[in-house]
Amino acid sequence: MSDRPSERMKSSRPWTPAQSDRPPAAVLDGLAGSPGVAIGRALVVDTERPGVVRRHIAKHLADEEMARYDAAVASSALALREVADRLRASAGRGESSILEAYTMMVEDEGLRQDVERRVRIDRQCAEWAVDVAIRELAAQMGAADDPYLAERSHDIEFVGDRILRALTGRQRALSLPDTGEATIVVAHDLSPAETAGLSKERVKAMVTEVGTRTSHTAILARALEIPAVVGVRGILAHVGNGDQLVVDGLRGRVILGPTEEMIRAASARGNRYFAMSQGLRELRDRPATTKCTVPIVLRANIELPNESKIALEQGAQGIGLYRTEFLYVDRAEPPSEEEQYETYCRVLKTMAPLPVTLRTFDIGGDKFVSSFQAPPEMNPALGLRAVRLGLARPEIFLQQLRAMLRASVHGSLRIMVPMISAVRELRAVRQLLNQARDQVDEAGQPRASHTPLGIMVEVPAAAIMAHELAGDAEFLSIGTNDLVQYALAVDRSSNELAYLASHFDPAILRLVRIVVEAGERRGRAVAVCGAMASEPLAAVLLIGMGLRELSMESSAIPGVKEAIGRITVAEAEAAAEAAFRCVTAEEVVECVTNAIGGKIADLLDADDLP
Amino acid sequence: MTAARGTFQVKNRLGLHARAATKLVQLASTFPCDIVISRSGQSANAKSVMGVLLLCGSQGSKLEIEASGACAEEAVQKIGELIDGRFGEGE
Repeated sequence: MSDRPSERMKSSRPWTPAQSDRPPAAVLDGLAGSPGVAIGRALVVDTERPGVVRRHIAKHLADEEMARYDAAVASSALALREVADRLRASAGRGESSILEAYTMMVEDEGLRQDVERRVRIDRQCAEWAVDVAIRELAAQMGAADDPYLAERSHDIEFVGDRILRALTGRQRALSLPDTGEATIVVAHDLSPAETAGLSKERVKAMVTEVGTRTSHTAILARALEIPAVVGVRGILAHVGNGDQLVVDGLRGRVILGPTEEMIRAASARGNRYFAMSQGLRELRDRPATTKCTVPIVLRANIELPNESKIALEQGAQGIGLYRTEFLYVDRAEPPSEEEQYETYCRVLKTMAPLPVTLRTFDIGGDKFVSSFQAPPEMNPALGLRAVRLGLARPEIFLQQLRAMLRASVHGSLRIMVPMISAVRELRAVRQLLNQARDQVDEAGQPRASHTPLGIMVEVPAAAIMAHELAGDAEFLSIGTNDLVQYALAVDRSSNELAYLASHFDPAILRLVRIVVEAGERRGRAVAVCGAMASEPLAAVLLIGMGLRELSMESSAIPGVKEAIGRITVAEAEAAAEAAFRCVTAEEVVECVTNAIGGKIADLLDADDLP
Repeated sequence: MTAARGTFQVKNRLGLHARAATKLVQLASTFPCDIVISRSGQSANAKSVMGVLLLCGSQGSKLEIEASGACAEEAVQKIGELIDGRFGEGE
């Protein structure tokens, strides 16, 4: 499933001229990491390693130097423990356990002995001793035969970096300078520890040059409710401390040196988001229907178990897409069956009796996963990922399926398989699911009598074969982001080609229509769970094409609910019919906007309009 | 002064990685005795995460645990159980 709001990614404009007496505004596009809009001053966080002083010390100063080392270790460990505690409270144990390992490494007795030897015998100052000791340890670790263990050398470097920063007094984001005013943190990248150390009071928003929607920065920013835009390439080349920025975490956009007009528009968007998230209680209890009272099911896409509470607050009628791969990323070993079972149970119990659609892991491709040591591929999007990886590693896939089946007694659970490209694959998954079921039964563990098995339709071949697939699949959910990438042959990480990657493309509309018709003929539920479902204009078009179930980021639900409530099915159908006469994406947007844009203009963004 | 030793094979797929090493060190640190862990001639203090990590104990490698001092036998036994139990990991 895609994390790139492709149609939003206009290629970064260079500085565009505004009035001559002020610096021109520039718009840089990235990825929406965490919702909300912030206007404020930039605080650029230095991501370089601190320069290390190399100084010989007098022999009688060795004790003093070791005392400095011990103090630095104590303050680094304290900072890490605080972050681990906060993270445990907001995100759960899985994310905090690596911080606990870091804390132990910072306090390591072996490292201290190594440093002490260099201080007392080689008469190196503490910074120098730490730098050399860490470099040697990291090099030793990096030479390990086992590639996973070799990668752990980064953990050692991180630990050394923390101690060095404490020694030199450069603490970076873990203790921001107290400017008295909340700032926008801009960095090349923020580690989990640094992100988790930020607070809403001090930080208005964060912007990073690297990262995706599933990177730690984005996930933790959402958990901390701080707006964030990630993957803004080259922003550090343009922005300096104190520069005014608009960070639009709803659309993944950063404006440098905004004009008055841009600031007004941004605050309006921010206020609208804020008002909607505040007025939710009222909106939450209002059923999602069209103006002519046809019910539409709106569900949430989630990644972390605790996002299910947010989904309920936003009025989601269930989880349409739970991306379980978060359990697998950035960790040493695949999660145990027990850990998965407990995680799924939490989501099921929170949502019950509403349905929860668990998508089996979608890893490989653009998501870096350390649990699997898959060979590097030239074209990971077309490689061993998602269900292909599951079928290649059946023991890990079975483990996940068993955990899901066992969790099924705690609510209404459905299993969805990503990236199905052929009937054969779905049959192989069905066989594994039966095997998992027998294993659960043999172990005497309870499970629901039937757990529906459905597929993500994101490979064009699956859309074309939807009728045949719907024979075996009990429900279908269209992942529009990957469908756009595969059908239009556009790499979704390409800024230069982003203009091609529109879900309004007539080819995409036709693929979606094939799936909708297949579902109707086979009597199978069809949903859309890509970015297309989360935009009011596109959502109305989908209703007009016959969709009755949409799943989206929780924060998009109120806007979509409001939009569909203002349109009748007949109006949406007329708009869709007109859209199908168009031959370009631009014509489709213009045509749908002309048909219904006026009724939902306040819910659209100014630049969505032609 | 008592002493004990035992040899155990790493069974979990990912070997002695950061979290497994952390578990081992946490366990070792609960015993008052000195504990040394060795692998193919390289030794480390079992109470040092860095040292244990640097043994690069991948799946299949043999770890020798030597303890001397109070509770030495119990320490070797418990650490052996942790390694044999795949550090609580599924595979």
